Amino acid sequence: MEFTRRDLLTWGSGITAGLVLTPVPWKLLDDTSIWTQNWPWIPQPARGPVEVKNSFCALCPNGCGMRVRMAAGWPVGISGMQHHPVNRGALCPLGFGAHQLNWHPRRLRQVGHQGRACSWSDALAAFRKACAEGPVAIIDGYPDRAASAICHGFARRHGSYRVALRAEQRALLPYEKWSGVPAAALGYDLENTGTILSFGAPLLDGWSAPGRFARLWSVRGAGSADSQLRLIQVEAAPSHTAACAWRWVPIMPGSDAALAAGIALVLHEEHRTAPNAPVPSTTLADAAARTGLSVDAIRDLARLLCEHGPALAISAQPNPAVAALNVALGAIGTRGGIVRRGRRTEPLAAADTLPSHLRAVLVDASVPADFLASTEAEIFRFAAWEGSAGRNDWLLPAPGFLEELTDIPTAPLSSIETYAVAPPLSKPPAEVKSAAQFLMAVDSSIPDVEKIIHARCRQLFQSRAGHLQGEELAAAAPPESAQAFEKQLWSGAVWVGDPPHFGGIPCRLTAWPQSAAPVARAGWTAAWPAPVLPPLATKLYQESSLREPPERRAI
Amino acid sequence: MSRILMTFGSGFLAALAAGWLAFPQIAYRQRQQPLAFHHQTHAAKSGVSECKDCHAFREDGEFTGIPKIETCAACHSDRIGTSQAEATLVNDYIKKGYETPWLVYSRQPANVWFSHAIHVRRAGLQCSDCHGTIGASDQLRPYEVNRISGYSRDIEGRSSARLGRSPAGMKMSDCEDCHHKRGIEVGCLGCHQ
Repeated sequence: MEFTRRDLLTWGSGITAGLVLTPVPWKLLDDTSIWTQNWPWIPQPARGPVEVKNSFCALCPNGCGMRVRMAAGWPVGISGMQHHPVNRGALCPLGFGAHQLNWHPRRLRQVGHQGRACSWSDALAAFRKACAEGPVAIIDGYPDRAASAICHGFARRHGSYRVALRAEQRALLPYEKWSGVPAAALGYDLENTGTILSFGAPLLDGWSAPGRFARLWSVRGAGSADSQLRLIQVEAAPSHTAACAWRWVPIMPGSDAALAAGIALVLHEEHRTAPNAPVPSTTLADAAARTGLSVDAIRDLARLLCEHGPALAISAQPNPAVAALNVALGAIGTRGGIVRRGRRTEPLAAADTLPSHLRAVLVDASVPADFLASTEAEIFRFAAWEGSAGRNDWLLPAPGFLEELTDIPTAPLSSIETYAVAPPLSKPPAEVKSAAQFLMAVDSSIPDVEKIIHARCRQLFQSRAGHLQGEELAAAAPPESAQAFEKQLWSGAVWVGDPPHFGGIPCRLTAWPQSAAPVARAGWTAAWPAPVLPPLATKLYQESSLREPPERRAI
Repeated sequence: MSRILMTFGSGFLAALAAGWLAFPQIAYRQRQQPLAFHHQTHAAKSGVSECKDCHAFREDGEFTGIPKIETCAACHSDRIGTSQAEATLVNDYIKKGYETPWLVYSRQPANVWFSHAIHVRRAGLQCSDCHGTIGASDQLRPYEVNRISGYSRDIEGRSSARLGRSPAGMKMSDCEDCHHKRGIEVGCLGCHQ
């Protein structure tokens, strides 16, 4: 019997009809769709015991408390620590996704010298040579850590120590100048403030410890018509903070000083200023003309500050006029105002102006990526990720997120002193070194980070001040020995100092300051250029209005 | 006409046979477990009566899964029997400090979050409801992995038609069916966190 073309087609039809009634097409479709969800090259978290560890974010000097979810010994998720006195369970978008940063494609893993790959021994030899030839400067972005003590100790012998201050820390510099109290010992008592007059400070957009104000606002400010905490945002642009504030006051760009002077003038006219507060020499009409507001609007603003106190003015940048307004409001050294914490007497030397004739400058990884060192000296730049601004002769790979032991000193603008220890939770790549390790290799007489932390813990315990606070410590008795105290700190507890001391900030401002600094937006977004963001933060960043273009002005 | 029917029918039957009998054999690759482990023997000799005696929960409710090598070493730090499997366990894993690379029949992919504690302690499910009678087995069957998806056959179900005892497998549809029957609704983020 001949097998014809017709038979072949009939047989094929039978196969097709039969296959439809088998699992073959449906199973292949299902398996293929599953395969596309699990590409072999997608990194998978390790399988193993899941545990949650307490730790602290060291990406910026605010040191927010975190609960790190670990799978098989690796961080796979982060949430805020509810009991932390500063962030109280809230985190910034970067913090929520920070565990992803260590796998960022722009992670630095190779020592580089002017674009060429080099070794650590080359970098060490070059730095030793520089130290022998002339003074060096060490620039730190996160002062008061144990690693900072190493930098400071090295700098004392070989040159000078400088700190790259952030915008919100700079805003306190006028008070340092007028009172002699170091800006690093000052903080905002936001927890007791009634009305905040923010001159462009992105309070709800990453200002200072982003979680601190976000939590305060959610508890005391958001959603109610007459909230306990009022935020009046003075800003030319309709920013995220302006949109969420209790009231937004759009003014002409750069007229913050004029508005501050106008408000102080109204307070003076109505006898509501603090004793001995300076009086601005301007007129209300002039302030109105420069700000674009009416005279009545400025009067209303001044009355709003007085009716729901304590009132506090905050500027994004150092602005002497805004600082003077705080003097007029009586917000210096008072409850809900600017308070002094701790016993620091020495101001931090800012890195804006470096000594001349430097042979080399070492920039720590804690210095923000957008920092530009104004020097002709050879620059040794530590960084965990690419993207550091300016000329870097030596680019040195530093440990990434939670890859090194560090202590967490008080957040810059906090009203209370805190201290915590963040042990490493991830193993760093073999090719990275911290600036402290680098300096210890140059000068072996410097004590290591662990010894300094140990000494600090003992010192805190012996001071008998403050108390420990933590997720697992709610019902625990205070530690009775220095070892127990240190053990609790290493396991995620936070030492919290005594409540802020009101008073103790002698203000010697006699005349209203004339100069005014332009307002610039700042926050975590400024310190972290967009390309180096974890996927989670990038998504949040892109889908929100965290950073409006500068040309988007209301006026 | 009869010739057409015969030709069509032969193709139809060939496809059915290939699809139902040959395809499941081709779709899965068999892999042998690293050791021959007898649940029944261990239960009888060690006096273990319940699954949780070895597959325990931690204090926080997390399931420990397959016991670690330390658990095996508690009895098998040295050979106590004569089997080749035990010799391999002692010499290749316990003495060298390596974990036994068991092939887990019911391992879910990484995008699934599953809590044994909720299902066993709160919902009162028996281990055998999902894992069958493996606890009473006298030998470990080969691990079968799908050549395309990479999933275990136990996840997709032993039966290609997904027939048989409920649940047919441990796929999302099986979870949904069980939840639906019990009137417990869980959103996407309940499992895909």
